[in-house]
Amino acid sequence: MSLRVPLLGIETEYGIIRDDVDNYDVVEESIRLVRCCEMKSEFGNWAYSRERSHQDMRGFNVPSLAQDEEEDAFCVEDRKRPYSYWEMKSDRVLENGARFYNDHTHPEYSTPECSSIFQLVAHDLAGERIVFECARLRNLEDKPGRICIFKNNTDYIGHSYGTHDNYLISRRLPFEHWVERLVPFLVTRQLYAGAGKVGSELQGDNCFSGLQLAQRSDFIETVLSIETMTQRPIINTRDEPHATQDKYRRLHLILGDANMSPYATALKVGTTQLILTLIDEDKLKLLVDLENPVKDIKDISRDQTGTIALKRTNGKTITSLELQEFYLDAVDKNLSGQCKEWDWVIREWARTLDELKHHPEKLADRIDWAIKKDIFTRFIDSEGVSWDDPWLKSLDLEYHNLDPERGLYRGLEQTGGIYSMFSESEVQLAIKKPPEDTRALIRGLAVTYGMDKIKNIHWTGIEFKDGNFIDLSQVVTSTDVEHLINSKKEQFSWL
Amino acid sequence: MVMNDPLRREEKKDPTPDRKESGPSSPNVERPGRDDILKRMKRVDPKQSENYKQRTGQ
Repeated sequence: MSLRVPLLGIETEYGIIRDDVDNYDVVEESIRLVRCCEMKSEFGNWAYSRERSHQDMRGFNVPSLAQDEEEDAFCVEDRKRPYSYWEMKSDRVLENGARFYNDHTHPEYSTPECSSIFQLVAHDLAGERIVFECARLRNLEDKPGRICIFKNNTDYIGHSYGTHDNYLISRRLPFEHWVERLVPFLVTRQLYAGAGKVGSELQGDNCFSGLQLAQRSDFIETVLSIETMTQRPIINTRDEPHATQDKYRRLHLILGDANMSPYATALKVGTTQLILTLIDEDKLKLLVDLENPVKDIKDISRDQTGTIALKRTNGKTITSLELQEFYLDAVDKNLSGQCKEWDWVIREWARTLDELKHHPEKLADRIDWAIKKDIFTRFIDSEGVSWDDPWLKSLDLEYHNLDPERGLYRGLEQTGGIYSMFSESEVQLAIKKPPEDTRALIRGLAVTYGMDKIKNIHWTGIEFKDGNFIDLSQVVTSTDVEHLINSKKEQFSWL
Repeated sequence: MVMNDPLRREEKKDPTPDRKESGPSSPNVERPGRDDILKRMKRVDPKQSENYKQRTGQ
């Protein structure tokens, strides 16, 4: 467990359709999908009263969060549905400590809090299996068409949904200190963390034909914002640590892609954890300020070589590859040799940047956009179509289909030739069991053994029907977990 | 949760190339199994993405 970044988590909103049916209700399908889950879980008792989504890191509260006009209209219609807000959400807290619910109109899986990179990636994969199993069960019902689930971030006509990576960090440093050191790293990490996207949703000068590095970059409109459905930022400013407010911040990053490749997920969260550690230890001395990071994130996404020149505030330029090499060098000098997992990240980060520079074709076994480039190019050569052909966007979509019989990434997993990080038994373990060294263990045990006694449940605590409450907001380290279990096991026999 | 360490599998792989020895070379595009994926791609409905409409999420 990293002392500087002790907890990590990923939230994934999945795309959902009922295939071969013209008129279906996507909200209804998302609700029904979550309700199909057969895992042991606490249902319908998420403690929304404990959420604080309107507090901003910059020291103010916003009265409401915004969405676009189209979504406003949809929400008016949603209010006419025969469901309460809680019924629509259909919240589940699962025995592995995760949260699984209908977020608005997408099935969302939020991993349990994890203490390490590989643990988190295993739980992200567990989420894929759980969501797909629900689709399988839903498809057993006598309904026309077939439910399909996509782990992606766009519908190619302007609607995006998120994959958020979260990191618990110290509140000791001012928020601006984190921002100025993080932004250049975040806008360039798509070199390996981008899931790839055919075409662009942007018009005019930003219109693009071909393969972008990332799905989400088109949707980033500002550097800082508390919003998530409009004016999406490089760094989200929601101040909701889900832990002791005066000690911690939760860095809530909404600019990332949904990776099918677990290697890419590991590199994304691993490099980010290392940079956060470096910042917290005040070892990132030299700052590289970009003049226009919001423009840069789109330009970088359209450059597969990492060589596009980015303007700096000092009048000079730097490439996205050079920027990543700058961060890698600082991490290598300061954090090497501290643990095997970090050494894996440093080594693979170096290998990936090196291959991007000299042998980019070698990335096609583990980096999503590069895998797409390889297989889509083969398809173009075989069929004589162009990158503009709508078929390519359909292939792009199918890459993210979770169905083992249809999904392109799933097909590659079956035939080999891509980097595999976990055995199926390891993923199955993450489906059933929470991490043993984070507070997710307490939540998972409560769901498994104390389910009928729970009144409501949240990341930060569990309230029981008899009035007892387990406060998880201060349970951060493995020592905290151990201490809580020892101090409460007489009161709660299931601990 | 006791997670088996993915690093153990990685130890069986070829060592990471020395960055100093890196340089341009002929692309190695041999990838077993990619012919199978070509067959799967050909079965994808060309209009699949045109029928894919989602609502905005976060």
